[in-house]
Amino acid sequence: MALIEIDNLSVTFLSKGHRVNAVKDVSLSVAAQESFGLVGESGSGKSTILRAICGLAPISGGAIRIGGQVLDRKAGKAFAVRVQMVFQDPYASLHPRHTIDRTLSEPLAIHGIGDTDARVMRALDDVGLPRNFRFRFPHQLSGGQRQRVAIARALMLEPEILLLDEPTSALDASVQAETLNLLNRLRAERGLTFLMVSHDLAVIDHMCDRVLVMQHGAAVEELTRDQLAGAQMKTDYARSLFAASADRMLAG
Amino acid sequence: MSLLSVKNLRVSFDTEAGLVEAVRGVSFDLGRERLGIVGESGSGKTMTGRAVLRLIRPPGRIEADSLLFDGQDLMTASEREMRALRGPRIAMVMQDPKYSLNPVMKVGAQLVEGLRQRDRMSKMDAHDKAIAALEAVQIRDPERVMEAYPHELSGGMGQRVMIAMMLIPNPDLLIADEPTSALDVTVQAEVLAILDNLVKTRGMGLIFISHDLRLVARFCDRVLVMYKGRVVEELAAKDLMQAKHPYTQGLLNCLPRIGGPRQPLPGLDRSADWAV
Repeated sequence: MALIEIDNLSVTFLSKGHRVNAVKDVSLSVAAQESFGLVGESGSGKSTILRAICGLAPISGGAIRIGGQVLDRKAGKAFAVRVQMVFQDPYASLHPRHTIDRTLSEPLAIHGIGDTDARVMRALDDVGLPRNFRFRFPHQLSGGQRQRVAIARALMLEPEILLLDEPTSALDASVQAETLNLLNRLRAERGLTFLMVSHDLAVIDHMCDRVLVMQHGAAVEELTRDQLAGAQMKTDYARSLFAASADRMLAG
Repeated sequence: MSLLSVKNLRVSFDTEAGLVEAVRGVSFDLGRERLGIVGESGSGKTMTGRAVLRLIRPPGRIEADSLLFDGQDLMTASEREMRALRGPRIAMVMQDPKYSLNPVMKVGAQLVEGLRQRDRMSKMDAHDKAIAALEAVQIRDPERVMEAYPHELSGGMGQRVMIAMMLIPNPDLLIADEPTSALDVTVQAEVLAILDNLVKTRGMGLIFISHDLRLVARFCDRVLVMYKGRVVEELAAKDLMQAKHPYTQGLLNCLPRIGGPRQPLPGLDRSADWAV
């Protein structure tokens, strides 16, 4: 059975009196320990799906099931233990006036997990940050270091599922490489399930086993990694996206 | 003769923590061509672009052995002379439309401001010219965009508005600082085509600043690779894959590629001699 199942999900916002269908009838399923990618241009609704899973976007139709259970909006703590999210912009997603220590220990305090000191230290080690960063503020870190903190925070409760919303698009190429390597290592070590959003096909190809191409809120085409690499897409849109990323191909 | 000639450009800032050298001895010549400047954040590529326009505020300092634009010495030019150059002769598209457009002014008002003030155009003429400029960057409903505030535009639209604004006075040299980094790949291709067309039809010189090595290689004629304020390598864009410098090679190799192997991506080795 799939770990994440999404059936005919629709998300509708009200904006200035008219309805905006951000996600229209999208279905997907992600098996345990699989890495699944969502790709598309801005406004295609890919981030909205992640936000809907977290309860940050209003679901107007369809269902989301995690491990066979329909999402219950009241299951706050139980949900947080299973699913965590890493946001796009490491400059905006960390509290500017909380030290790294406070950011990392807050989930432990909320869930009444003791042993804070050792867990925070271990979390820093896991994401490759020096221990003396513990009492720094986010503005004292670089973009890549902040994203490491955001990943460490997401992993504090040892969730099974990590939702990644463009985790490297604000980072330099070399820092992106380090962050992707870190995510892959953590997935292998902990058996995590990834649902990852990116506009960069090459990043998705490197990270994910399967990918869903989206446009204007609707699913266009689902591709496996081999189909992507072999340019075996059936729809014109997926093909045009692939063509625009042609310089991301393996040289030759 | 080249359009722009820069010799040994240095930009430094006196800070409390001591002297910070953002640009350390950059030299290049630019004809009517597309020159790319690539590097990571903090490599001094934006500062190089701003220094050409002398847009660096104290405590920042610009020094150069020579900084010639079309035969005119930019180092000794008065503020008044610089103002006459900025816009009509040299224009710069800034990085982020969110921060570079005035948030409380309608886009239309910002577009016609220069035409009204500098060129003393009538309201009607200025409006028509602004509409034409928006059409030139493939904005489909220019009348609506003219009446919109910057926050009502998407990133791609905002970026195109910036480009339109900079192209109205028909400059000889355009400095574009990450003009496409906020855009989707498909929109990116459109914006690049617009810039490319302008270089070809107007004979404009273009300095294209970006962190995306492959994009620059595809789009520009020549590439300068910067690291920590220095140019570490200069090469023709078509030879990029044969880059010699370890930093350039490192930047190329750390990008994931479609169909590439699943092993960890190689990181950059910053400990070598060139990195200090």
